Amino acid sequence: MTRRISNFKRFVMMNPIIQFFKFIFLSIKVLLIVAGGHGGTRKTGY
Amino acid sequence: MSKIVILGAGISGHVAAAHLRRKLDKTHEVVVVSPNSNYQWIPSNIWVGVGRMKSKEILFPLAPLYKKKGIGFKQAKVTSFFPEGDSETEKPFVMAEYVSEEKRGETEKITYDYLINATGPKLNFEATEGLNPGTNKAYSVCTYTHADHAWQGLSALIEEMKQGKEARIVIGTGHAKATCQGAAFEYILNVEQELRRQKVRDKAKITWISNEYQLGDFGMDGMLLSYGSNIMKSHEMVEMVFEDRGIEWILGSGVNKIEDGIAHYENLDGELKNIEFDFAMLIPSFSGHGFKAFDKSNQDITEKLFKGFMLVDADYTPKPYEEWTVQDWPETYQNPNYKNIFAPGIAFAPPHSISKPRKSPNGTEIFPAPPRTGMPSGITAKLVADNIIDSIKKQKESLDHKGSMGNMGAACIASAGFGMTKGSGISITTFPIVPDYKKYPDTMGRKLGKTFGEIGLAGHWLKLALHYAFIYKAKMRPFWYLIPE
Repeated sequence: MTRRISNFKRFVMMNPIIQFFKFIFLSIKVLLIVAGGHGGTRKTGY
Repeated sequence: MSKIVILGAGISGHVAAAHLRRKLDKTHEVVVVSPNSNYQWIPSNIWVGVGRMKSKEILFPLAPLYKKKGIGFKQAKVTSFFPEGDSETEKPFVMAEYVSEEKRGETEKITYDYLINATGPKLNFEATEGLNPGTNKAYSVCTYTHADHAWQGLSALIEEMKQGKEARIVIGTGHAKATCQGAAFEYILNVEQELRRQKVRDKAKITWISNEYQLGDFGMDGMLLSYGSNIMKSHEMVEMVFEDRGIEWILGSGVNKIEDGIAHYENLDGELKNIEFDFAMLIPSFSGHGFKAFDKSNQDITEKLFKGFMLVDADYTPKPYEEWTVQDWPETYQNPNYKNIFAPGIAFAPPHSISKPRKSPNGTEIFPAPPRTGMPSGITAKLVADNIIDSIKKQKESLDHKGSMGNMGAACIASAGFGMTKGSGISITTFPIVPDYKKYPDTMGRKLGKTFGEIGLAGHWLKLALHYAFIYKAKMRPFWYLIPE
């Protein structure tokens, strides 16, 4: 069954104050994941 | 002194040119060959397509920037490759035909020491009968001109809806093997929000049509991701969003023909169906550019360079889905036959799809081709540039920089509606891009924590921040290189 977005969740999603902190958190998290390095896969223990 | 020629000035070609120029002294020549006079930040096309951004905000002319930075620029399209030179020219070269006003039609042999093929994909509209942007009520947002046309078509329909017209809008993929579902996904959510903003949402039925087996496949076989304190599959997340926005969906469908306001498609059950629409935005399939290659004696050696897209250090041995591994995917994007040719971004031939291949009972393959847009294009272009720089400085081949899509993260910050207070975005990161089922067997091939989703206003701000940051970077403004790819 398809999940639904609850009214509370919608409030959190669109509240500018909560979302400001989420923006900071997301920016850092995305930066860490994508700038966190990349490499090959053909050496053991990559 | 070395001469590095870069074919294409999209995300990949431009990133490679910028890094090469910054790190090599001026005794080395960096030349960009591209038929386009402008750089465009493609991820923002979806906002042009809903009228929330002007196309001039996402592009800038290349020639003045390249002149200022000491990068050669030829506004021309490459027609053929001569990786061994020919009877008259000792050095390898590409044959190019100018498209600029002053030199239109002139051809030139452009010699090189290193060649970076960053020509991206050909937008293969011809593969779907009747799919031609701006005709048959069907549009595209693949380029800024297409996005401009799409907004003209959509805004005209909105005006009719304000007069009481009931409309059906269809958005998704326009071919059984199309990729780039992410762009269509962003566009459908932006269109839905724009209709609400224009107070005509109740007049429209919006339908997603896609070659994906499940929602949220995105050409990456879907993913298991963390969402807040929950762990859910990407199809559950996208279903939740579509349900919330009142968007219907048709899956496992390969669109094969467009007539005026009608899309014909075949589904995975082999049924031939059609859907009528008043406005459609359908992503075409991507293909190689059909380049030819010749050896020194003018014999055709196209198969040594191309398999549709350019051959690189991938394992192209045909094998069943169950035997695919991340090791099949390229690490250095170097052509195996000509070691001074590289193909980062979308220009390289993938070893196979990422999504599980599926066929209809009629034998039609209906599944997404692998996506290689945006972030991986930039990352692979930079590592190719770094390997060339090292090779030039060390005066011997150096391939220390590696970046397989099986060991690389990516972020998809999908706009779900424009607006500083009413906008929304769906931020999804995935690591790795190509699922590694051996390393992460219990989490659908991905590392949880590094593979997560978030929905909300912050996603829109992040997408907007990235728009300005990457245009700043592309313009090579002070310290541009500190912004990661």
